[in-house]
Amino acid sequence: MSVLRTLLASLLILAAGIAVLAATTDGFRAFTSETARRIDVREHPRVLPPVPLQTAQGRIIDFPALRGRWLLVDFIYTRCMTFCSVQGTEFGQLQRRLARPIEAGRVVLVSVSFDPSRDGVAQLAAYQQRSGDRGTGWLAVRPTNPSDLDTLMRVFGVTAIRDGLGGYVHNAAIAVVDPHGRLVAITDWDAPREAEHYVLRGQVQ
Amino acid sequence: MVLQMLVQIPLLALAGWWLAPLLTRRIVDTFSTWNRSGISGILLASLVAVVWMLPRALDAALETSWVALAKFTSVPLLVGMPLAISWPRAGFVVRGVWLVEAIAMAFRLGWLYTVSPARLCSNYLLGDQRQTGKVMLAIGVAACLLLAWKLVWGHNRIERVR
Amino acid sequence: MASLTMYPEDERLSGGNRAAFNLYIVTAVILFVLMMLVGLTMRMTQARWLDVPPDLFYELLSMHGAGMVGTMSLATTAVMWFFLRKYVHLHLWAFLANYVLFLLGALCIIVSIFVYGYGALWTFLYPLPVHGVGMWTADSSALFMLGYLLIGVGSLLFYLDAAAAIIKVHGNLGRALGLQWLFGGKIDPDHPKAVVASTMVIIANSLGILAGAVVLVMSLVNIFYPQVVLNALVAKNLIYWFGHMYINATIYMGVIAIYELLPRYTGKPYPISRPFLWSWAVSTVFVVVVFPHHLLMDFAQPRWLAIMGQIVSWGAGFPVFLVTAYGALTNIYRSNIRWTMPSRLMILSMFGWAAGIVPAILDGTIRINSVMHNTQWVPGHFHFYILLGVLAMALSLMFHEIGSRAHAAPDSRADRLGFPVYLIGGLIFVFGFLDGGRVSVPRRMAEHLQAWTFSDRIGSIGAILVVLAMLYFAIRITVGLLKPPSPSWAPEPVPGPIPEPVPSPLVSPAPSPGVVGVGTTNAAG
Repeated sequence: MSVLRTLLASLLILAAGIAVLAATTDGFRAFTSETARRIDVREHPRVLPPVPLQTAQGRIIDFPALRGRWLLVDFIYTRCMTFCSVQGTEFGQLQRRLARPIEAGRVVLVSVSFDPSRDGVAQLAAYQQRSGDRGTGWLAVRPTNPSDLDTLMRVFGVTAIRDGLGGYVHNAAIAVVDPHGRLVAITDWDAPREAEHYVLRGQVQ
Repeated sequence: MVLQMLVQIPLLALAGWWLAPLLTRRIVDTFSTWNRSGISGILLASLVAVVWMLPRALDAALETSWVALAKFTSVPLLVGMPLAISWPRAGFVVRGVWLVEAIAMAFRLGWLYTVSPARLCSNYLLGDQRQTGKVMLAIGVAACLLLAWKLVWGHNRIERVR
Repeated sequence: MASLTMYPEDERLSGGNRAAFNLYIVTAVILFVLMMLVGLTMRMTQARWLDVPPDLFYELLSMHGAGMVGTMSLATTAVMWFFLRKYVHLHLWAFLANYVLFLLGALCIIVSIFVYGYGALWTFLYPLPVHGVGMWTADSSALFMLGYLLIGVGSLLFYLDAAAAIIKVHGNLGRALGLQWLFGGKIDPDHPKAVVASTMVIIANSLGILAGAVVLVMSLVNIFYPQVVLNALVAKNLIYWFGHMYINATIYMGVIAIYELLPRYTGKPYPISRPFLWSWAVSTVFVVVVFPHHLLMDFAQPRWLAIMGQIVSWGAGFPVFLVTAYGALTNIYRSNIRWTMPSRLMILSMFGWAAGIVPAILDGTIRINSVMHNTQWVPGHFHFYILLGVLAMALSLMFHEIGSRAHAAPDSRADRLGFPVYLIGGLIFVFGFLDGGRVSVPRRMAEHLQAWTFSDRIGSIGAILVVLAMLYFAIRITVGLLKPPSPSWAPEPVPGPIPEPVPSPLVSPAPSPGVVGVGTTNAAG
């Protein structure tokens, strides 16, 4: 009798266990929070919050003001000495490759600093300059208070941890925002062609 | 990362193990007909442990408070306790299968963590991840040697609680 | 010491044990014939006598490799079980669980190959399973690996049960191996060789299965999550560690039959000795560390591993030669050995094993390996000691068992024809490979150049003879095992106590219980 009961109990436990695992991994697709973030954004686009952002020129804008265009957003900190410093030059190259759509007002690049206490207006301007900014179509911005920063990082799913060398390690990526102001995709930071694709095709894959 | 994965979580499980005697005899006996040779209990503990091995579960436990609470309750209650009441009932073969699988898991995860070029957890550095991998490989080797030593040269009583 | 009684009572198979043993053996012999036919098809394709398309050839090669190793393990597990159960209490459920899991695993493997086209060979060498170039999909490889995992779990269950049983009797595995007698002390003459051999296999093969469990799951992870890239050399080391131990374990399980049965046929005891214990203790270590001889041509391999592989390959020959082969020869010498099928097969197996490891040792030498690696010398050497060594050991038990049903060792005219056909066919077949290696014919090639086909054709002819002999053996053994024991079968008379004197009619003694007269047969007989 106990053999059958144990078999039944084991099968139930196994079924429940597999169900829980399936639920926690979005159907065995996402074992890491990064993959989970990307799947969630694709399946449930997120409306961006109207958080005030200060540009490198000192003006205050917000995401709703940028509607009507595709946005390619990345999160940076200007003091980065390691590989994420390449993010700047990458955006510079992206700005060059997307010159026509930028000119036509179809796309804007936005770099948001997640270290606003150390990245002031001057630092943002210097960052853009050394990354080869051509002057139009790329905004470097900073949130103006810590709770706004938290909101932004939560909505975009950004995690930044100290790297022990005075800087940060973060899940760098290029976030794609559609003309309705919704975050619709997250692509690899070192594969900008993927992000370009959204803009040039004009639709979500 | 080593501290979280390989010290904190095992300690939580151990806490559950030590709390197991608090369960009354009646509760344990009710379970025992559904837990022949400790199989159901060990299966439950193993599955819950797998959930807490997922990188995103570890991340969520650090970022979200209800997940952290879930970790601090489920690991002692659903991993440590079931193991504590099931292990004495488990025969040599059940224990052997579980130990071999656990050691194999340590090697697999250790291998994965040492070679993965991407950070599996957003809350830990790549260097932490590599180090955790190496520690897991070392744990696997140590467990293997310990087990082999015990079986080849140790005193072994093949008895269990009925 | 192993009993000299030809068919001792404690070996008798009845009920569940008999059914299980029959399942194992009948399945094994059927699979052997089928796998041999697969092999023959390949040899004839290489000989250009058949025209099999290359992708099918690699499916056949994958089936043959996995199928032969698995079936050999099945058959020799039955050998180990048959004898070990006399000395320790093995559970039937473990023996049957291994069988069921083996069948499930075999089903996965067969489906992955013949339905989904898997052709990455029995070695599933990373990353070949995910590069099918249209011949097979990654999913088919996943199914194949699942098959291996199931078979591995089955073996593990059997070994764990055996380990528990052995430890219950002997306290720990070291005492079961007789390590306490290595440097002195009086060896218990009744310490069963079957226990020593079984313990060695349990230790070594459990480690091999662990290695397999790691690399199989990691390969599966790579199939479903290609961004997880494995170090190919680490994977190859683990794969060959797993595979090498698994096939070697079959030899070490099979040889239990020699230790147990040979003395019965020679009539001379075959006692345990210190050299015997040393040989098995050393072999336990050697078989675990010898696997690098499969990676001698991987120049990225750490040098010390390659050197260890060569040295241990040479060293591993000594226990075999000096103890088992020499020991068997001394047992036969000046004995009244009765030449029947079991004894013939046993002596053949000693030759097959001892002679067969010579080309193996040669190939395990780095300088020679750099020329011979990837030639047909390699299948030449392992077919030698598997076909004429291990398989002969397993067959000897099978013939012995059918003899116990009829209470007479099998030696019919057909048997006496089948044996030389098997032996000669086997030698021709094996030398076909070895000669191919001599002229550097590459191995694992579906299409052969005309210049290579001479040794392929010799090999094919030998293979045909082997298949014919094996087909006959399979039928003979199956029929023999399924026959019920003859009702008039009586165990050999056991001398009873001296009979009580006939009571004088003047005295009427109370009948004392338990008086046994001479010649009473066991009622259960």
